[in-house]
Parts: sequence; structure tokens; C-alpha cells
Amino acid sequence: MISSRRRPTAMISRLGRQEGELIDRSRRLSFTFNGVEHRGFDGDTIVSALMAEGERIFSRSFKYHRPRSVLSATFHDPGCIVQVGDEPNVRAAHRRLRDGMAVEAQTGWPSLRYDVGAANQLVGRFIGAGFYYKTFIKPQRLWPTYEKVLQRFAAGGRVQASSPHGTYDKRYAHPDVLVAGGGPAGMAAALGAADAGANVILVEEEYELGGHLRFGGSEDLVALRELRDEVGAHAGIEVMTNSVVTGRYDDNWVAVLQRELPQVAERLVKARAKTLVVASGLIERPYVFEGNDLPGVMLSTAARRLVNLYAVKPGQQAVVFAANESGQAAAADLDRVGVEVLKVVDPASGGELVRALGRGQLEQVELGDGSIVDCDLLVTAVGWTAPTLLVNMAGDRPRYDERAARFVPGGALPDTVLATGGIVGDGPLQALVAHGRATGTAAAHRALGRADSIDIPELEPAPHPALFRARTHGIVDYSEDVYSKDLVAAAREGYDSVELLKRYTTATMGPSQGKLETINTVAVLAEATGRSIEETGTTVWRPPYAPISLGALAGRILEPVRYSPMQPWHDSHGAKPIVAGQWIRPEHYGDAAAEVRNVRENVGIIDVSPLGKLDLRGPDVSKLLNFVYVNKWSKLDVGSVRYGVMCGEDGVVIDDGVTGRLAADHYFMSTTSSGAQAVHEWVENWLQTSFPSWQVHVTSMVSAYASINIAGPRSRELLGRLVPDVDLSPESFSYMQVRTGTIAGVPGCHMWRIGFTGELSFEIHVPAGYGLYVWERLMSDGKDLGVGPFGLEAQRVMRLEKGHFIVGQDTDGVTQALSAGLDWLVKLDKEDFAGKPELVWQHERGDGMRLVGLQPSDTHLVPAEASQIVSPSGAIEGRITSSRFSPTIGRSICLGLVSARLAVAGTVVTVKLPDGRHVPATVMEHHAHFDPEGSRLRG
Amino acid sequence: MVARSPIRARGPVGREHGWEVSTTARKGGLELCDLTPYSKVLVRAGVLSKAAEVLGCALGLARRAPDGTLVAGTGPGEWLLVSGAGTWPALADEIGGGDPTALTTVVDVTHGGFLIRLSGADSRRVLEKICAIDLSDGVTPDGAVFRSSVARIVCDVIRDDDGGVRSYLLHGDRSAGQYLFDAVLDAGSEFSIGISGYREKEA
Repeated sequence: MISSRRRPTAMISRLGRQEGELIDRSRRLSFTFNGVEHRGFDGDTIVSALMAEGERIFSRSFKYHRPRSVLSATFHDPGCIVQVGDEPNVRAAHRRLRDGMAVEAQTGWPSLRYDVGAANQLVGRFIGAGFYYKTFIKPQRLWPTYEKVLQRFAAGGRVQASSPHGTYDKRYAHPDVLVAGGGPAGMAAALGAADAGANVILVEEEYELGGHLRFGGSEDLVALRELRDEVGAHAGIEVMTNSVVTGRYDDNWVAVLQRELPQVAERLVKARAKTLVVASGLIERPYVFEGNDLPGVMLSTAARRLVNLYAVKPGQQAVVFAANESGQAAAADLDRVGVEVLKVVDPASGGELVRALGRGQLEQVELGDGSIVDCDLLVTAVGWTAPTLLVNMAGDRPRYDERAARFVPGGALPDTVLATGGIVGDGPLQALVAHGRATGTAAAHRALGRADSIDIPELEPAPHPALFRARTHGIVDYSEDVYSKDLVAAAREGYDSVELLKRYTTATMGPSQGKLETINTVAVLAEATGRSIEETGTTVWRPPYAPISLGALAGRILEPVRYSPMQPWHDSHGAKPIVAGQWIRPEHYGDAAAEVRNVRENVGIIDVSPLGKLDLRGPDVSKLLNFVYVNKWSKLDVGSVRYGVMCGEDGVVIDDGVTGRLAADHYFMSTTSSGAQAVHEWVENWLQTSFPSWQVHVTSMVSAYASINIAGPRSRELLGRLVPDVDLSPESFSYMQVRTGTIAGVPGCHMWRIGFTGELSFEIHVPAGYGLYVWERLMSDGKDLGVGPFGLEAQRVMRLEKGHFIVGQDTDGVTQALSAGLDWLVKLDKEDFAGKPELVWQHERGDGMRLVGLQPSDTHLVPAEASQIVSPSGAIEGRITSSRFSPTIGRSICLGLVSARLAVAGTVVTVKLPDGRHVPATVMEHHAHFDPEGSRLRG
Repeated sequence: MVARSPIRARGPVGREHGWEVSTTARKGGLELCDLTPYSKVLVRAGVLSKAAEVLGCALGLARRAPDGTLVAGTGPGEWLLVSGAGTWPALADEIGGGDPTALTTVVDVTHGGFLIRLSGADSRRVLEKICAIDLSDGVTPDGAVFRSSVARIVCDVIRDDDGGVRSYLLHGDRSAGQYLFDAVLDAGSEFSIGISGYREKEA
């Protein structure tokens, strides 16, 4: 639905049916341009539809705000960049028209036609090339103002924060042969490769295969149909149209950007091609003369595209400056469709183009003989640029072919990269196709490792007059508004290296990225310095060949999330989720304090499935445990569990957990949730690198078991209702023991008597598929016992009440085991263990921080975690690592790391709060604030 | 007592060997099927051990044992045995007796991993969107096994064509099962992927 003004009456330029036209006249589309309604056909580009309706100006230039129109009628046309809806920088000479499109010019204020920015032309002499390197420097304090002004003038569309995210995609591909360019040589190369047995990806920037054949005559169209049909019928060729090879990287890693797919805005294909065939064709280059950017001045291929592909009449009266066959063909096309071709100027016959004249659009052309011709269309055909970007990226340096007046590949390509078509040389269609086929066959043979060599026929660049600039100065870089006189001035200032000139003037640095400008830039510099073009050299082309959106680079958003088997229950019972690494876990079910009280008074259950779990088997497991843990493991009985701490080789605590011995050669290790993967890698690393002879197999069982901690004074009673085959009495199943049995009918469950919360508790590990079932049974069978779920927050509070530290929360990247208060655990008399030398040293030094229990004097003040502990002079003496209000003892409680000298029970330290207040807190005798004797958990 | 897959059963639901499963009919074409209830056994042994000889399958390859068990060489000295739900692969018993010359362990990982089957002519194109491995017949033919990142999840990928139709089994950590299932569905949406109910080909 379009709500807009109707366009005023304008000259309609739509032609009758053309033989090769892409438009479907049976499908009319409506769209708006700057709020004015227009109509076009399916198959039109935005620009062709606008031109058919008489529009000629699509943008204003970057610096001087000169009106701009069609130059090349391709993706790279610098004058045809627009905003479509909320999408900025749309290439309107390429983008197909869609019904309902809202197209707007990106430049021009208050309007495209009357742009006050055009006043810049009056002060052009002050804002020449490199002016921003010389201005806006002083006074420095005004820079923020300068910045705002410069931003105001910056080109580009509007990105709207409210725009919905598009769908972007990524794909990996491994073709034998990837052909970049779907013109006749590219199609032939794909066929040659596929016929030789290779699987081929053929990439074409336009919406359809064919290259220049598409806008050629009847013979070209016949040849095009034959090639297209053959390609389409070949099962070994995957065709990607409206796609572009944006770069070639090491080992033929080729990036292909696919656009406008049915369900995807853009897709980045990461292709690892065994061989790459570059068939990128030729790009017609503009001619430099005064007024060469006036609307109405265009390249011969642009005129032919408009006429033959979109049935658009580009003007009424034309002058054609034709130095080659393309110009002659354009003149013929224009004449055929009723454009009055007033003059065909042939430089080979001495014809000269001096300047184009007009206010806002072309009105006259001045020729070398002094004649002035009134016209509204000037077509130039002065030569070609070979886009050598992909061969450059493969290590080749282009060389200038003086005879052909263009740069060509230098001939230093690796075996895995070949080139064909216009980039290599010129010739009739048959020659291009023959070269393409042979090149494709050779590419396939190289990809498939065949030894037989393929004869590739010669394809030489044809002679062409060297026409770059007329006797007048004009635009060289249309994107950046760089004139040839700017380049001459820069050369006079000493910027005589083409790479420096590029950066100083920004020539070739605009959206076209040198495709239209490079050769002219080099030629003007060569002329200004008196050197040859070959001596001047060219700039290096870097990826990307065409712009890639950030969305395409990001691709499909793949952010793995992990769920516990009990997640459906948590979802349906009001759990507030918290992201813990990749896991989604319940933080609480509404009231964490109530959950704490319920555990302390009745019984609670918590889902601890993300805990790391390693199955350790083999006769040498105890050796492994002795090495990776700081304490001793040689005498752990079957059925017993022991707490252990792991340190890195620097003695820093990296993980903790318990390990139980299930059988003589079978142990079950638990780790922290966050350390599960790292600990698995840690033990495997030691086994594989230092102890390969040890007979130990380690298997991660993180997800094999659903893990539930049943905590509280009534936990034994609850579990007992579901366990028929294990005696849970304290006499036969005491603290720090493990049993295997049946829970709610599920066999093979492990039960540990451990207690992170400081309560009597059982940690059960149930085969994961039954996790939800067992959880639901615990909840239903324990109703009368007051069972309730508790989340991570309640667990954190209770473990803090009990003084159990959390690795990574109460320790950091430099906290060695003795600093964490683990003196009682670290056995320095063991022969060896990971981190021992550092811990021996720390023990001898006796320095470092110490983890202590702390209680603020203000019982209701909970210092923020990371609050500093400071000395009277303000020096940092430690920090609060954990802090909460304890519902159990009714006061604030903390753990903190403090200097060793302060780690004495009764010491009053000063805590500096984030708001700057200093508050006192007392160092406690134990880490535990509640039940330091452990009578509850041992109950 | 009911066991559940990490992947939410869609459509009509039934029970198979104590597992809750989707009984959605096969639709043919490109389809994704949750086979998590299948028995999955991890064997670790030396590559030159007796167990390796019995398993008869090198790293990177898969084969079918006479009882239908799929044996996949998933790592150096590591094999994954997949058989029908509620069964225990006979091979596991055969090698589980122990080898005095080398440590051999057999661990039931049925509950530790998801197992999904992606089948159909376009299955390669779906997988290519979320896995960087070369899926061409030359590199990963029927019977090929590799461990790789699939949608950023470590998976054992087994090319296990089904009656001449290209098919992949994906096995990975259970906790990421729903995520990966959704990721494959999302990648396959442009190819009209569908979900089919549980079936017992391997049984």
C-alpha cells in the first residue's frame, strides 16, 4: 500500500519490446521515489524504472553536491546509491524493483533537485583534495563542532535502530572448481570443468548469467541461450546469481556473498575451492573531461543495458564518442530505438571530445573542432579496466599492457588459480568460449589431481587507443568527487606515489573501490609526473570486491544453550532463569530467602545438573587423582567420597569438587559447573602428554546424569521414600560416602552424602532421561514434608552461610591454594602434584592474600561484592568476594580476601563501599557463619 | 516411570521402551528425527587391541554389525556403538570381558547424548550451513564418521545413508539436544524440512 503524491507529468522513456529485455510487462509494480509514486515492471532495476518514468537525477555527489545520474548502470554505479525503506546504500542500478518499495535519495537538502550543498561548488578551490588534512586543526577546542559539521556532510543513508533484524545466513562449500564470473568465458569454464568430472560453483554478480551477451544483438542472444541451457542442464554446476566473490584468501578460501535469497537477506558462502577460475570480465572505464559527471553522460555499456535489458530510452539526441566496437554498437542501438544520434565521434579519425556543458544536466557537447552540439545524451566508449582483484589476492601483480591500454594479470598465479575471458584478453565470442572451456577443463584436472595437461588457446588483449583524459579536467573519482586537477595538484605537492596519492586524495577509496577510477587515476598521475603508466604502477586491490553487510559477516546467529532435563518443570513453575555459561538455570522461584528457610527447616531440592561429571576407569586412577588434586587419594575406600582442589602449575586454584570411588578401578569425579569442560581437558592433557602409560580412561558424563541436591533436615526421610535398595541411615551411609542404587524405580543412580549448603543433604545423579520423572516424584512424594525447589541464589546464600567458597568468585586468577584457606587440604609432603613447587614457595613465603569470613558491624548492611578493604591511609588491603544477607542468622555475612596480616580472627577491617563510605567489618574465626562445627550436614 | 529425550516430542506422543517419543508419521523428503532413545555405548581401547579387532572399524569409519548395531570409529581408540532402544549391543559384551594387554572400557552413554537423524537428498545442503566439513561423497561417503562443530556444538557425525537416501546421524551432548535440533530445523527451513516420529531402524 503506497500513500504518496502522484508523480508530475514527465517524459516517459519506456521503449517497445526489446529482444533481450528482462522486464515482464505483464507484472506492473508500484513504488515511490522521494515520496512520489512511480510504476515499473518486474525485472526492472530501481533506476531503470525511474528512468523509464523520466527521472534522471538519483543522488548528489559527495563533496560538491553535483547532481548525479546513471554512469555504468551496474552495481558499481556511483551515482545510483539510494535508501530503500530502512536499508541504506542500496545499489539502485542493480537492485531489482519490488512492489511497494519506498526509495529515497540519500543526499540533497532540502531536496534532491534543489540542494543547498551545491554551494560547495562556489568554494571548491578551498576544499580540494586533502583539504581536511590541512584544516580543522586549530583551535583544537573547536574539534567537536567541526566533527558535527563534517558528519552532517558525510554521505550515506540512515540506519534505523528500530529496523527488524533481517535473516542472514552462512554456508560452507567445497567445490572442485569455483568460477568467478558468469559471462560467456565463465559459463564455458564451468562447463569445461563439469564435463571433466568436477563439481563446480559458478558465481555471477548480475541476476542472470550471460555477461555482455545479455545486452548484445541477436547472435549474442542465441549464443547466450545455448550456453545458459547447457549450464542449467549440467548436474555438476551450481549456479549462484546475484552473488559476488568478495575475496580470495590463502589456500583458495573464497568468500561468496549471495544476495536476496528467498528467505535470507544475504548469505556468506565460505568456499574452499580446489581451483579458482577468475572470469570477472572487463569493466568499461569513464573518460575524464570537463562536465563528465553531468546527468546524461554515460558509458556505452550503460546505454546498451538501458536499451536492451530494460527497454529504456536514455535520451532524445545523442553524441557518441566511440573509440571501440562497444561505442559503435551503442550508437547502433540508440539509432535503432529512435534516439537521434547527432554525431559519432571517432578518436581514431581525429575526433576529440572537449567538454560537456549544462546546468544540472547535459545540454551541449563541445568537440575538438570547436563545434557545439545540442544534445541530452553523451555516450563514451574509451576502453576497459580488467578487475584483477582476485588474481591480485592470489599473489599476482598486474602489469600494464601499453598496446591494449589496460592492466592485465602479471602471469604469476599459483597452480590453483586460473583466469579466462576478458581479464586475460579479447576476441570473438568463439575465442572467449574456447578459452573458457579449456581453462575450466584444466582447472578440473588440477582439482582432481590428473596429470594430463590441457592446451589452453592464446587469448591476447586487443590493441586499444590510450584514452584517459581530454584536454580539459574532469571527475576521476565519482564517488569521492576527486577531479583530475586535484590529482595534478597533489602530485605537485609531492604525492607522486600512486599509493600515497590514493590516500591523500581519496581517489579510488569510495564505494566503487577503484573499479571505475583506478586506471584514470594512474594515467593522470603518470601525466603529471612525466612518467609512463607502467612506471607509475597501480594500487593494490584488497577484499572485499563488493560491500558486505555486517549481517552477512555475522551470518546465522548460533548461540548454543544447554538445558537440564528438568527445564520443562522449571519453566512451568515460575523459575526465573539465569544464564550460566551456556546453561539456562533457575535463579529462584520467586523468593530466594523463603527457599533458604525451607531448606533449613524442611527440605528443598535444587537442580545441579550442569555440575561437571567425569567417569574415571582404570587401575591408575588414584595416581591421576593424586596428581591433579592437592590432597591425597591413595587410600580412598570404595564407597567413599573425598573433597579435592585442583591447582594450575602456578599453584592457582582452578577447580574443586568431590570424587567418589564406585569400584576398585572406577571413580566418579564432580567438578564445578563452569569448570566442567576445562577440567576434562586438564586431566586429558596430563594423561596424554605427561603420563601416557597410565591406564586411565576419562569420559565426560555431564549430561548423562540429571543431578539433584536434596537438602534439609528432612532430606533423608524424603529420599528414603523413593530408595528401596540402599540403607540411608547415618550409621550405614554417613557423611562423605557414595552409594549406587534405585531411585523411584530408576536403577543405576549414584547418591552422595555431601553438603554444599551446610545441611544434611544427598546429591543424587540419575540417568538423565529419567531426571524430570525423578524430580517430579521428589516433589509429589515430599509434599507432606514441605519439600520445595530452590534456585542458585538460595544455594549461594546457604553456601556463604556455611563458608564454602566458589572458585572464580572467592578466588581469582592469582589466588593460590594457601590464599584460599586450603592449608588443611594441601599436602606438600606428597611426591608431586600439579602446582606443588609454587605452593611450596608460597608456604615458605607465608605471604599473599587470605580468604576470611567477615561480618559487617552494621548487621543489615550488605557490602557490594568487590568492595575494597582499605587501610587507614587508603591503601587497598583486600576486597569482599561474596556478600549476602543471611535469612538464617539474620545479619549480613561476607567472605573476603585480605592481606595475610589482617587475617586474624577479631581484626576489624575497613570496607570502602562503592558510594565512598567506610564501614567496619570483623574478621571471623571461621569461614562459616552458621554451624561451623558441621553438625547439621553430618547429621 | 518414563524417560524423556532432551528434544521436546512434537505431535502425537507414545511410549517406546519406556521413552516418551513422537509418533508423527514420516512425511518423506527432507526430515529430521529424534532417535535419542537408541542405546549408545562408548568403547575405549587401544587401536591395536583385541577390542579394536572385534569392533573392526577404523577411526573415521562406520559399519553395521550382524545384529544391526552401528559401530562408528569416533576417535583415536574410541568407538560409539548404537543399537535399538532398550537393547545392549552384543559387541559390547564381546569386548567387555577385558583385555589383559590393554585397558578396555565400555560405558553406557545412552542418557548422555542426543541422537538425531537428518535424512533426504538435501540433507547435505542443510548440514553445509552449520558444519564446515567437506560433505562431498569423495571426502565423506556413506559410512564416514567425523567429529566436528555443528552449529557450534561438538558432534559425532555419521554418514549413514538410509535405503540409498543420504542420511546423517548427529550425536552430541544431551544438554544441547534441543538447541541443535532447532538449529538444524532452522537451517533446513528453506528446503522444507519436516519432523518425523521415532522409528527403530537400528533395532
